[in-house]
Amino acid sequence: MVPGTASSASLKLEFRLRPHAGIVSVVRRFVEERCAKLGGDPGSVSRVTMATHELLENAAKYSVGEYVHLKVEFNASCDSIRTQLTNETTPVHRARLRERIRLLQNAQESFDLYQTLMRRSFEAGEESGLGLARICSEGELALAMGESENTVTIVAHSHPPRNSQDG
Amino acid sequence: MAEPWHEAVQESDFSAEASVQERHMDVALSGTADFMVKGHLDRFLRSLHAEVQRRALTEVSVDVRRLEFMNSSCLASFVWWISTVQEQPAEDRYRIVFLSSPTVYWQRRSLGALATLADDIISVQL
Repeated sequence: MVPGTASSASLKLEFRLRPHAGIVSVVRRFVEERCAKLGGDPGSVSRVTMATHELLENAAKYSVGEYVHLKVEFNASCDSIRTQLTNETTPVHRARLRERIRLLQNAQESFDLYQTLMRRSFEAGEESGLGLARICSEGELALAMGESENTVTIVAHSHPPRNSQDG
Repeated sequence: MAEPWHEAVQESDFSAEASVQERHMDVALSGTADFMVKGHLDRFLRSLHAEVQRRALTEVSVDVRRLEFMNSSCLASFVWWISTVQEQPAEDRYRIVFLSSPTVYWQRRSLGALATLADDIISVQL
């Protein structure tokens, strides 16, 4: 783990990890514990924890590189959440991610899409993409994706506060 | 009197247990339900569904109060179970009652999403 930084109500954590399923819950618990210590809304701690788990587990399943890079930023005073996961993966998986994230970004109602994907999930098997939909719907987080050569970066972040959107 | 029935999964970070008493099945899950245990959870749910059908039970209570976390793959396992019950003829369907914890925050949203899939057979108790 790369040392994180924290102010009184916010923290930044960075991890460089070998992607395997056994590490996912260990990291989730660590993130949860550190975020909970900041105080703030336990529901927000739950949201950042869930997003971290789902993104890291996706990387554990589909990463082809030796390491993945995880960044978690949490501000308890304004419930700001940002979880970023970068890993190497195959062109086929990158294309699937691109399609799924575009679908989620364009959804009018993330909960309705989540329900639809839930119904399809047991037919789709491991590649259900339900984790990303869960981040958007249950976690109330937006998703963004970046690509560079054979790496992909997925960012789950909280929506800007309404007053900043209004300008 | 019907013969007793018991089914259990015991992994290092996850356990699941189901038993039948009288006309009621009690299920309890604890620990972390993630990718590591999805196969176990799938087999467990298939087994208990078959037993509920065999005994023609009308309700199953699922205590998740000690379930620290469930990932989306395991949520999909519950979707399979709920969808399977929904697809049964009306006389063969049964109710699923989740007992949840108000302090385990993911449960409110995830169980709420499951209940919306099938509010005729699912209820969530705090």
